[in-house]
Amino acid sequence: MRLLRSVAAPVTGILVLLVVWETVVRVFDIRRFVLLAPSKIVAELGRDPGAYWSNTLVTARHMLIGLAISLAVSLVVGSIMAASRFVEEAVQPIFVVILVTPWVAYTTSIVIWLGFGARPIVFLAAFVSFPILTFGVVSGMRSADPAARELLASVDASKWEVLWHLRLPAALPVIFTMLKITVAIALGATYFAEGSVGGNEGLGAVGRRVSLDQTIGAEVLWTSTICSSLLGIAALVVLTVAERTLLRWHASQRS
Amino acid sequence: MIAAPSGQRAGHVRRSAARVTIPTVSASVELVNVSKTFGTVEALAPTDLSIRAGEILTLLGPSGCGKTTLLRLIAGLVPASTGTIAVDDVAPAVARATKRIGFVPQAPALLPWRSVRANASLLLDINAKYSTSTPSASVDELLAEVGLADFAQARPHELSGGMQQRVGLVRAFALDAPLLLMDEPFAALDEITRTEMRHLLTRLRSHHEATVVFVTHSISEAAYLSDRVAVLSPRPGRVTSIETIDLARPRHPEVEDTEAFFEITTRLRHALAGHA
Repeated sequence: MRLLRSVAAPVTGILVLLVVWETVVRVFDIRRFVLLAPSKIVAELGRDPGAYWSNTLVTARHMLIGLAISLAVSLVVGSIMAASRFVEEAVQPIFVVILVTPWVAYTTSIVIWLGFGARPIVFLAAFVSFPILTFGVVSGMRSADPAARELLASVDASKWEVLWHLRLPAALPVIFTMLKITVAIALGATYFAEGSVGGNEGLGAVGRRVSLDQTIGAEVLWTSTICSSLLGIAALVVLTVAERTLLRWHASQRS
Repeated sequence: MIAAPSGQRAGHVRRSAARVTIPTVSASVELVNVSKTFGTVEALAPTDLSIRAGEILTLLGPSGCGKTTLLRLIAGLVPASTGTIAVDDVAPAVARATKRIGFVPQAPALLPWRSVRANASLLLDINAKYSTSTPSASVDELLAEVGLADFAQARPHELSGGMQQRVGLVRAFALDAPLLLMDEPFAALDEITRTEMRHLLTRLRSHHEATVVFVTHSISEAAYLSDRVAVLSPRPGRVTSIETIDLARPRHPEVEDTEAFFEITTRLRHALAGHA
């Protein structure tokens, strides 16, 4: 019964959204570029599924490499920050500056700096997400049970042993939560950067190229947008499954 | 004798400087003029205390009397403000670095991502160079001894509070350390479980020779477990008397119903009240 509801409820929600969307577009005769009906998007997807699939894969690769780099950097930087209040307080304002500065504003500079191709795209995806991930690593590591820390100290555990046996596992729940948030941010940055480098690959490049095309521009733009959404959802599903598997011990994963 | 200098770091001790291994099964502890001040608060007044190898000594006192501070000083987890502490003639920090101390914290401090068995062997995995190569009992044997054999693969959250603290005891005993330090390990348990736990600890300890320093505010716990009881008074913490518990060993739960036991608890209560 619970399983039925957990599947039926979201499916119902999506169906309602699609029906309302389709109806509103038809009844109010909304212009194609403003909002395209779902039926037209499905038709456009069927016209050239191979192209949308391969561009989605390119965008997925950019985003995943960016997130992987971001996660690696945040684990190293976060471990250091969790070990030293001074480093944490010194780094915090820098992260705040990165977080509040609109990355759209300096994307051109990054493209000029790193040249065309995948490098500026991956850099931007990593750069906009790593402060959030690092904050997650720091607060997760700080949440490690003080009694367990004292217990490890009683046998003179090294910093590495404390990190590996206590701080890192304790940080995993927060890291997963932050990863789910950063998927959306990294995907947005990836899509925009793909359009900015002037290349031909990736959903962002496709969307940018057709944005002034009056023949099939609206169809391609909206279909690539929906492909981005599906990519984001797929990433969240993968993360949720990984979280369920790795964090069976955590209270958030028990029902 | 290597003295612990005042202000000594309580952090990680460099391994190369700590190659002292004296294979004994029970350690003696000597405290000379040891005091501890936190800021302007004197947590422990200058204290002399000799803990004999192989005895079970309880630190008994009300909350805030400095008994936990005293235990943490012996464990080398905090440095003494004055005085010297020696665990088998070496400083606590060295005893800690060579894994000669088995610590049982008040909260079980089990790692939720490890199974019961992996938690029980946690301290063996850490700083493994100093783990004993010839343990007197394996983790599995110890788990069986405390009735947790069927729970070896369970997660800590599936256990009751008493079962969790039994894992904490196994984790400390598995080290085969000559000194066991226990910081009110049964304080958070209900009265019935708490009584069972002191009987269990006595049984477990009967196969081991380790010296035990046990912190508690329970008079019957102190009476049942101890060879000697150091009674502490608060503000600042000081040892006001040391009571010898002359109940024969092995001790069984029935002893708690005897006249002799009643006399001991009365004596301990008076010793505590003497400075209330």
